[in-house]
Amino acid sequence: MNDARVPVSIDLNGATVTDTVPAHQVLADYLRSRGIASVRVSCDQGVCGACTVLVDGVPAASCATFVFQVDDRAVRTLEGLAGGDDLHPVQQAFVDRFAFQCGYCTPGMVLTAVALLEQEPEPSPERVSQWMSGNVCRCTGYAPIVDAVLDAASRQQDSGGRS
Amino acid sequence: MTATSSVGAPLQRADAYAKVAGSLRYAVDFELPGMAQAAVLRSPHPHARIVRIDAESARRLPGVLAVLTGADPAARSRYGWYIKDQPILADRVARYAGDMVAAVAAVDSATAMAALELIDVVYEPLPPLIDLDSALRPDAPAIFEEPPRGKAPDYGRGASGWVHPEKNVCYRFRYTTGDSAVFGACDHVFEDTFTFSAMQHYHLEPFVTVASVADGLIEVWSSNQNPFALRRELARLFDRDEERVRVHVPPVGGAFGAKNLCKAEPVAILLAMATGRPVRFCMTAAESFLTQRQHSARLRLRTGVMADGTLIARRCEVLLDAGAYADASPLVSEKAAYRAPGPYRWQHVDTVASCVLTTTTPAGPFRGFGAPQASWASESQLDMIARRLDIDPYQLRVKNLRELGEPYMPGDSALDSDLRSGLDTVADALGYHDPRRRAELRRAGRGLGLAVGFKDSGGGRKPASARVSVSGDGQVTLRCGTVELGQGAHTALRQVVAQILAVPFGDVRFAPVDTTSVPYDQGTYASSSSAVMGRAVAEATENVRGQVREVITQRGGNPSGAEDEGLRPGWRRLVSGHEFEGSGHFEVASDVNAPLGEKCLFWEPGWGGAEVEVDRETGRVRLRHLVVCGDAGRMINPQLCHGQEQGSAVMGMAQAIVERFGYSDGALATRDPLTYRVATFGDLPDEFRCIVQEQGHGPGPFGAKGYGEGGMLVVAAAVANAVHDAVGARVTDLPLTPERVLDALAKAESEPAEDSG
Repeated sequence: MNDARVPVSIDLNGATVTDTVPAHQVLADYLRSRGIASVRVSCDQGVCGACTVLVDGVPAASCATFVFQVDDRAVRTLEGLAGGDDLHPVQQAFVDRFAFQCGYCTPGMVLTAVALLEQEPEPSPERVSQWMSGNVCRCTGYAPIVDAVLDAASRQQDSGGRS
Repeated sequence: MTATSSVGAPLQRADAYAKVAGSLRYAVDFELPGMAQAAVLRSPHPHARIVRIDAESARRLPGVLAVLTGADPAARSRYGWYIKDQPILADRVARYAGDMVAAVAAVDSATAMAALELIDVVYEPLPPLIDLDSALRPDAPAIFEEPPRGKAPDYGRGASGWVHPEKNVCYRFRYTTGDSAVFGACDHVFEDTFTFSAMQHYHLEPFVTVASVADGLIEVWSSNQNPFALRRELARLFDRDEERVRVHVPPVGGAFGAKNLCKAEPVAILLAMATGRPVRFCMTAAESFLTQRQHSARLRLRTGVMADGTLIARRCEVLLDAGAYADASPLVSEKAAYRAPGPYRWQHVDTVASCVLTTTTPAGPFRGFGAPQASWASESQLDMIARRLDIDPYQLRVKNLRELGEPYMPGDSALDSDLRSGLDTVADALGYHDPRRRAELRRAGRGLGLAVGFKDSGGGRKPASARVSVSGDGQVTLRCGTVELGQGAHTALRQVVAQILAVPFGDVRFAPVDTTSVPYDQGTYASSSSAVMGRAVAEATENVRGQVREVITQRGGNPSGAEDEGLRPGWRRLVSGHEFEGSGHFEVASDVNAPLGEKCLFWEPGWGGAEVEVDRETGRVRLRHLVVCGDAGRMINPQLCHGQEQGSAVMGMAQAIVERFGYSDGALATRDPLTYRVATFGDLPDEFRCIVQEQGHGPGPFGAKGYGEGGMLVVAAAVANAVHDAVGARVTDLPLTPERVLDALAKAESEPAEDSG
């Protein structure tokens, strides 16, 4: 087992975290060990999207990312999305549109959608499907998720693009 | 939301906040102090004698706490539903590539996995039996040298079951009614064979169990659909009273049938016993493919009809590929056979399904439970017959569909849905009867197809109990064993309680599912939560309501709400300090005249309509429009019903076009999420509509039926029928790949005189 350790400094949900981690440690495991419970692994191969986090605003599979790769970067999870008990507009839209059932894919779906709307505030339904296509859901049949993202987009437009 | 309007309202799910915030705790998140991590070594060979296992190096690796193999007597105990044939760890024979041969507990996952590398196993490969034909050959080796013990249940009129009737067939079920002589009176007898592919459930939360054994008490936290059936099986496996086994089931991250009975639990318990520590066995997603999958099948239908389209007789022979162990295959075979005739009038039916053992991943319950296989064949053949007789496929169905109130088969309960109504809904949504539209479609290489799906639902031999309590300070709690799989059962059942007790939905708490503190339930499957557990919950709640009324009356108050039986809003103030508890129970009575030993509680229909566009050069099928419909009786929560309909329909679409679990050159080709092409956002049809009817005839509270499997039964046949309508090519195998469509096109063009259907 390789014992090499690497120093990292990460902006994790708005707070700076400085640590020394095993070189081979994977971001998903690291985040869970720090109590970021919303990050869950499913495929562990980087293909299902369940473990998605945002790295500098870009969706990344945390199961397929080493901790050292996010040194000096901003990592965002659901815990960093909204303040206190309030829900981010995307989260609220997921609730209102019943865009989840078992909920296992939901953290990854929400973050991927947040990234989309931060880049493209008014996506078409096709663009939503295309952007989200790296996230697998087994329960909903996807259509309610597309509806929720479009809903969130229009709400954010209505409230002046507040994110 | 007013207190008395819970049922029928699209109330926000009780678990909504936790799921979108990511704070919900699944079994995968569960931890105990001092918990060890488990990993298992699996046979790489599909069939092999295990000559020797040397685990000494593994045991000596620092951080390894225990290594067990099939040589350990406790590991040889066997589990299963009707047939107890699956050992906790394979002993002398590995029966499929993936069969567990050794188990390691270590201080962390990395160490456990490193230990696997140090276990040396000597195998003597045996001939693999990867498919139905190789397993059924007379010279094929027997996967079980001695047939394992098992028992067929007592069936009713016309039905029989046999355990291990022949080599490599672990179970056979047969149902027959009427006289086969009527085949002789038919104008035509058509025989067609269909194959049905397997999918893998692909639940995102893996199989995971944490086990702790202390003072003789076995305690597990598991992602599992059958807490009480699991408890019973574990008590038997580990030789103790059921009271000494405790099962906790947190909310489950998807199951679709896979998480039934024993999966990760026995290994976790064995390791907990060997190490004296709690042990977590969390399988990888790849290991799901080595643990459970849907039944692939071959179905041969021999159907006798009159020239005017009257259906007379049907003989079905179904071969289910059961994989290496029986698992729930015998139960699936009952349903695959019994449902194969479909909801039509027959004078004679003879249907038999055999569970063929193969050296592949065990097949088990998968949404639809034999009905997807049956409907694929039956609804495809109906269309083929219609075209051979030059009758509109819609008309052929309407002519023969059983009506509301007619028994499905002699001795079984009457249909409780108007099947024509749903068929008309999907046909109209597609413009099926508009001749101009049909002509336009055909010119554009497009076609329309319909299908009617039908299954008996609510389960068999499935008692359910519930308890409802009101504490002194007014807290309402529902205790029952229904598992929240994502389907929303914990929300819908709370709505039933809230409605009957006239309290706000948010005031009803659902107790954690724990076999020591909730009453017995057979399991969360067979679309049974709303109708079966719903009845137990309603009874328990009505019981409490009656007690409350009594106390209020005794205290000189007036308990009534809007109806005489109801409670007025604010009643809890009138009884504060007083505690109430009520029980409810529901169980279908056994009936020797009913084919399966009980009358079916409710029928779950599905209706599907598809518009496809077929590219004659590439064979590619584009699903332009999919409409799916079901009958929920009465929707307790419309959003939950719609969610189930959509999810089921997309899974059915995946079966038809996208997904296939399969072997290639003897090895599992689809062995992990990377290699298994699952349905994604991009696979949705151009237009997709789900319609949920409320015909009102359900046996559940307020007229509810169960819901959630209908979509799985209709999409494949509707799409194949639409392809046939579009280009005259008939595909009888799933999935409908471009290659198969091209082959069917070539066949149709080369045999114009003989209508192959």
